[in-house]
Amino acid sequence: MKRVLLSLLVAFGLLGSAFAQQPGSTLVVGMSILPNTIDSGDANDSNAIAVTRQIVERLVELAPGNEGLVPGLASSWEANADSTEWTFHLLQGVRFHDGTPFNAEAVKFSLDRWNDAANPYHFGAEGKAYVGWRNLFGGFLGDGSAVSEVVVDDEYTVTLKLTRSISFLPSLLAGGYFGFDSPAAVMAAGANYGTPSVGSVGTGPYRFERWEEGSRVVLTANTEYRDGPPPTETVVFVGVSDPTARLAQLKAGALDIAAAISPSDLDSVLSDPNLELVRGEGGLNTSYLAMHQNQKPMDDVRVRQAVAYAVDRVAIVDAFYAGQAVAAEDIIPDSLWGHADGVGAYPYDPAKARELLTEAGYPNGFDTELWYRNSGLEPVIAEAIASYLADVGIRAALKTEDWAAFLADYMAGNFPLYTLGWNADFADPDTFIYTFYGPQAVRRFGWNAPEVVTLTQEARQVPGQAERAALYAQVVTAAHEAMPVLPLAHQSQFFVVRKGVTGLVPNPLGAFPVLAGTSKAQ
Amino acid sequence: MTTYLIRRVLGIIPVLLGVTFLVFAINRIVPSNPAVAILGDKGTVESQRQLAEELGLNKPVFFDVEGYRSSGRFGQLFDSQYFKYMGELLTGNLGKSFMTRAPVTDSLKVRFPATMELALFSILIGSTLGIVLGVVAALRRGTWVDTGMLFIAVSGVSFPVFWTAIVLIYLFSVQLGWFPPAGRLNVTSTLQPVTGLFVLDTLLRGQYKLFLDSLHHLVLPAFALGTHAMALIMRMTRSSMLDVLRRDYVRTAASKGVPPLVVVMKHAFRNALVPVVTVMGLSFGSLLSGAILVEAIFNWPGVGSWIFNAITQRDYPVIQGGVLFVAAVFIVLNMLVDLSYVLIDPRIRY
Repeated sequence: MKRVLLSLLVAFGLLGSAFAQQPGSTLVVGMSILPNTIDSGDANDSNAIAVTRQIVERLVELAPGNEGLVPGLASSWEANADSTEWTFHLLQGVRFHDGTPFNAEAVKFSLDRWNDAANPYHFGAEGKAYVGWRNLFGGFLGDGSAVSEVVVDDEYTVTLKLTRSISFLPSLLAGGYFGFDSPAAVMAAGANYGTPSVGSVGTGPYRFERWEEGSRVVLTANTEYRDGPPPTETVVFVGVSDPTARLAQLKAGALDIAAAISPSDLDSVLSDPNLELVRGEGGLNTSYLAMHQNQKPMDDVRVRQAVAYAVDRVAIVDAFYAGQAVAAEDIIPDSLWGHADGVGAYPYDPAKARELLTEAGYPNGFDTELWYRNSGLEPVIAEAIASYLADVGIRAALKTEDWAAFLADYMAGNFPLYTLGWNADFADPDTFIYTFYGPQAVRRFGWNAPEVVTLTQEARQVPGQAERAALYAQVVTAAHEAMPVLPLAHQSQFFVVRKGVTGLVPNPLGAFPVLAGTSKAQ
Repeated sequence: MTTYLIRRVLGIIPVLLGVTFLVFAINRIVPSNPAVAILGDKGTVESQRQLAEELGLNKPVFFDVEGYRSSGRFGQLFDSQYFKYMGELLTGNLGKSFMTRAPVTDSLKVRFPATMELALFSILIGSTLGIVLGVVAALRRGTWVDTGMLFIAVSGVSFPVFWTAIVLIYLFSVQLGWFPPAGRLNVTSTLQPVTGLFVLDTLLRGQYKLFLDSLHHLVLPAFALGTHAMALIMRMTRSSMLDVLRRDYVRTAASKGVPPLVVVMKHAFRNALVPVVTVMGLSFGSLLSGAILVEAIFNWPGVGSWIFNAITQRDYPVIQGGVLFVAAVFIVLNMLVDLSYVLIDPRIRY
């Protein structure tokens, strides 16, 4: 019986043992989950943007591998003196995958669709939320939006009129959300645009082929692409939520590229002769330990400073990130500007921490809670932080809950201490400064400092980088003193690929790179 | 029999109503809500409130008591999320996912056959192995064979399914390269679905290479998912067989000279099947819902991983539609199991 079973198994296995061999012109990318939507304006997670980035293009693009800007669908752009009017000169002769010409009208169509809740193609009532637009432009038209009007100057020139000055508008527009869709395709698909049955239509190096619900999104090379067709014919995105399974599938050859591999699995990657690590420089992200001032005794600045002195960030980075991160000096990653001269991180000094606690009236420490998300490195880092805190007498009970509940609770100020991370939406210090110390600081950290919030708002509106830098220096200094949140680390972006995959350049925003030049050796 | 059938079928209705009510209530009791989950950490109080309104979550959950009191109209009482949903449900509309905006029924059409196929193959593997090994264990009671079977059964029940799954992938995909570690078909293959059961569809479309490919992809996930059922069925078959083998009619059959194989297969085995079929039915139901981990690890686009993701994202329409559907299938399966007793054991009458 056993012998029969075994031989059956073997015969069956040999029958199709070629499963791992795909044609060389196919790349299979393993992400943590398939997109919710591939309507780029409505997309709100890195997995969705990974796919849309291949299909649609932005007016301005990030330079490959760093945070500089390069022309995208706009060949050049300029602003008026106070940065309230931005004019973009568009590429000529570009067509969407469906043949619709790309021009100023097409740009206006998408911008109006995102910006104006009353636009017939906005589909807010059907559930499209445009989280990226809401967040980066402050809301919708007439309700907080920074864009008051989009004017078509001529066929290839378009002007954005703003309600307030934004000196870094090109950076904003290079964010992953703002890829331009074919107006004809949006009109034809209606509210179903971006769903599995319809997909999306852009100008990018890959066109949408099909989306098999729950299993994969398949893209094919745009042979008419203006820079020449991409070297790979077919790109397949699959979602594998379990990181161990993702790595196993990569090792088995079912994936060519795996995203979101934990640094703790790198040993297993580097010891496998079939795999390679592709590493980017200067990731624009910050992991942090927040101290919510609604919760006693975090309202005492001495307690917060004690926490900052108590945690050895450098040791944590060395222990867990496998060389893929640097300890944070402040909330802004090192590769961006906006830091304050002479203001660095608090050194690791447990004696000083105990001293501050005694001064604050807690010579024997106190009991509190530290909340973390149960994913990636977060549990082990939370444990490490708790043990450093215990060293100075702060007894933090470790707690976790699922992400949706965590979101609601941390925003309601229910957690005295919590760890989280922030990924830049665009390559400008504003995405860190405004997010952490702007109007949301009260909610995120219970830090009520109107003068600091005003500085962050002012910095959004002054045109010159030097003036903005001066304002940011003040914000960073104030935050260093008040310590609402302790920045922990900036992680570099990396992917794990099968040997033979070339031309993958990680992008510091953490967004999955465009695969226009990526291929696999035959 | 007919009255019994009618009673059973009518009995389904209140159970399903109860399911909709419970799922609705539990969704709202669980902390957080879809607007918070959709907006993520970019959400502000204002945008969360706005989005909740757009999604219709600002209405009362079950009864609009306030509205009834102020307007005095009785109908106002039912202007709630629940009754709006039930109204749509009666027309067969399960709504659209908050996250993907795709209709829930469209997703079900893809997801359910995928899980069904996986569960069918798991129960096939599980019950074939379980029954054969269980009968062998009963006939060789007390020998090393019996002990060996016990070891397999205990392992099957106690190894967590995600662990078994990962071990199978490392052994049979990474090391030996015999079976694919994920998906239902080779990534470059396409299949125009008919029923959604790929093993069947490939045959219907006459694509025999794809038929083998789909079977090939089923082996590891079905085996991983089936081990637990196999262990249960094996133990149940063994004890049920031992029980029956002691019966008078078995002894009578043996003493009047019926060949041993006929005694075992015809007199003992068939009568031992009733509790085994019960366990199979129950295992099948739990395979449908228990496939979550296996689906996640093998990248299998089934209902389990779909509902699980929906729960983490508070995607109410998907949770409601998905759970309701799985509950309906579970109820029907149980009914079929009860009815099958009549066929197996002539002593049972309804």
